[in-house]
Amino acid sequence: MIYYIAALLLILIGLYGVLVKKNLIKIVLSLSLIDAGVHILLIAIGYINGKTAPIFSTPDLRPEQMVDPVPQALVLTAIVIGLAVTALALTIVIRLYDHHKTLDISKIRELKW
Amino acid sequence: MRKALAVFFLAILGYYMLAVLLNFPFGIDHLNPELAGAYLRDTVSKTGAANVVTSIVVNYRGFDTLGEVTVLFLAATGMGALLYKGKTMGRSRQNASVIVKAGSRLLFPLIIILGAYVFIHGHLTPGGGFQGGAIIASGFLLMFISYRNYHVNHRILSNVESTAGSIFVIIGLLGLLYGATFLENIMPLGIPNKLFSAGVIPLIYIAVGFKVGAELTALLDTMLKTVK
Amino acid sequence: MIFDPVLMIALPLLAAFLIPILNRFSKEIPKYVPVLILGLNLYESIMLLPYSMVKPVIVVIAGWAPPLGINLTIGPLGNVLALIISLVGFVVAIYNIKFVVEEPAEKYYMLFLLLITGATGVVLTGDLFNMFVFLEITSISAYALTAFIRDRNGAEAAFKYILIGGISSTMILLGIAIIYTYTGTLNLADIAQKIQYIDPKIALAAMILLIVGFGVESEIFPLNGWAPDAYSQAPTPVGAVFGGIVVKAGVYGLARMLYTIFNFEGVFYFLMIMGLITLLMAEMSAMRQSQIKRMLAFSSIGQMGLVLIALGLATERGVEGALFQMLNHALIKPLLFLSAGYLVYYSGSKNIEDLDGMGKRKPFLSFFFAFGAFAIMGLPPLNGFWSKMIIISETIRNGFVVIAALALVGSVIEAVYYLRVVGRLYFKKHHDDQQEKYVHGSAIFAMSILVLLAIVIGLYPDLIMQYLKPAAEELVNKTMYIQSVFAIN
Repeated sequence: MIYYIAALLLILIGLYGVLVKKNLIKIVLSLSLIDAGVHILLIAIGYINGKTAPIFSTPDLRPEQMVDPVPQALVLTAIVIGLAVTALALTIVIRLYDHHKTLDISKIRELKW
Repeated sequence: MRKALAVFFLAILGYYMLAVLLNFPFGIDHLNPELAGAYLRDTVSKTGAANVVTSIVVNYRGFDTLGEVTVLFLAATGMGALLYKGKTMGRSRQNASVIVKAGSRLLFPLIIILGAYVFIHGHLTPGGGFQGGAIIASGFLLMFISYRNYHVNHRILSNVESTAGSIFVIIGLLGLLYGATFLENIMPLGIPNKLFSAGVIPLIYIAVGFKVGAELTALLDTMLKTVK
Repeated sequence: MIFDPVLMIALPLLAAFLIPILNRFSKEIPKYVPVLILGLNLYESIMLLPYSMVKPVIVVIAGWAPPLGINLTIGPLGNVLALIISLVGFVVAIYNIKFVVEEPAEKYYMLFLLLITGATGVVLTGDLFNMFVFLEITSISAYALTAFIRDRNGAEAAFKYILIGGISSTMILLGIAIIYTYTGTLNLADIAQKIQYIDPKIALAAMILLIVGFGVESEIFPLNGWAPDAYSQAPTPVGAVFGGIVVKAGVYGLARMLYTIFNFEGVFYFLMIMGLITLLMAEMSAMRQSQIKRMLAFSSIGQMGLVLIALGLATERGVEGALFQMLNHALIKPLLFLSAGYLVYYSGSKNIEDLDGMGKRKPFLSFFFAFGAFAIMGLPPLNGFWSKMIIISETIRNGFVVIAALALVGSVIEAVYYLRVVGRLYFKKHHDDQQEKYVHGSAIFAMSILVLLAIVIGLYPDLIMQYLKPAAEELVNKTMYIQSVFAIN
């Protein structure tokens, strides 16, 4: 249960950062935190008490003794996708800094509604 | 004011999510016998891999992995397009200290070997293409940080990236030609727990390992080279 | 001759991976690769039509039947949407041949091809997580393409987009996590079967998360703040593809979630109200714009609001109207964007007031723009008229007269601001500082195809309706979908 709460806290802290923080890098970092929280939540959902990793490393391991392998596969893909978004976001921050010379998002509001 | 609103909204969201999750106690046995149970039972006999997660990622849900490889390719391409500069730039203003330089020189080949080991043995031990590729890229990052002028040839990296990605799709197309469906396993399964087993899984993972390693290295180099 | 539909996704991926190598041989090759590949996709989607109309074509991947493996479910809906996506992509790729792109050019073509491939994957797949992965492919290409012109505004628009898009993808992932926890499977048909055994409150939570996630790409209010900036700051063909293809993939995802998986009564009313709010807010904002591309972006959001109203009706005729409106919008909005792009290029400014009198200097372009404006306003006998008529009449028939009336008000506002621009093009004197430049043949060819299709569809709407009817039926009738996927087991 502590894992669920920890993952949820990560997601909420990340959301708070995205909504409230003004520094561009902190915003991107918070986005990355939300991703981390969701991944941990997914893996925690897959865990089954008393069972072990789904790898047949020793011959006497039976399939009934293993945790759910599907969330782990999903998280593998999701981590890479989160990485790609973070990398692109940081690139855009570099370009924004090049043009505006500031990392404060409230000063970068040239496009109006 | 804005902070208070944000905290209020997040409190509601958190409470709601917690209520949803409490319905599902941590650690109960909820395996779906048709899906997750079938994966666990039949992996060794039907795909030959000992690592169930690897066989799911590469064999059962290999199409997702193809999409994931494409996403990483997109990130590297997008970054190359956005940070394109006509002139070359430096990486940092000073070299690292002597200890770091000597140590990284020593560690670099070892890290590369570790990364290669991880992605070659993806079907036997935890790990695989993405993990191995990331380890290789971290080895290069160590060299980038220690030496100001350590060059990697972006042409070679780009060629490796494209070739490895194409190999993945071509293996899938071969499955279409010789089997019946895209990405089907066309190689012999071999004996489980040996290196040469599990059909196409090690081949795909080796291609993915090279691709991810080359891609992340190019990504890091492009990002670090933004200092005048 | 038909080939395995998986190649509609695999071949573009292979081509995109090979473009950097091909670029070494000649810089001209990458321009023609998207045209070739999207032409093949168009051919394949047309060839599949006779099969998918009868029974959904289930393509198994990696040799594992669903739900163990991933499968493509190409029903009439998926096929029609894939056809629209390939068609619009093909036409814009032709426009791209002579469009001036900044360095590095080959990356632009790679990103463009992958953007369209991602959207094709979203509409063709039958697996929930696979849909998420392809949506991410589309989104990440979109983020990179928005900032491709490396100026100040492009970076800002891209940052807004990536922020909202990044949060939306985590929301979708959370929704998928909840669905997997309680159903144990990821196959769409399997989930549709098992969802009835879940506590409705939990299904409601997953549904809200998925609506927020897909809603960002579908540009529902209030999740569409990124859209005007992204459409106007991206290069012109990219803006055309955003409005013509990407938003359709988002709306498809939303519709698939709401119709096939979840089937709550109240959510359709919610969709209708949100569609109406989106429509009115977008049309009112479009009135106040002084830049032409931003105006077109708001108009696009408004049209999607109309589609959402039609989807919220949850009747078969309503869905037919929604699909028809999506088809028409996919043909007309790129036409408007492409012609506006050249008009901006020649007048040298993005403002509407600098387009005065272009009707005389650039007759072709102004004709294309005016034609597009009339089609989207819904003037008979052009195609926009039929789709709007179906939607409005179906809304009234189901008793939502107030909503229909307000939607008509939105249409009137739309007519006002389009006619304003057309009036400036033709009835004002041109400024003397407009330059004479040449319009490339490929661009005119591309835009003419769209005009031709719009005229043909306008004159023979029943031709299209016979394909849209089975598509609408597939969406509304979820047991048929479930049975066709499991019949191969």
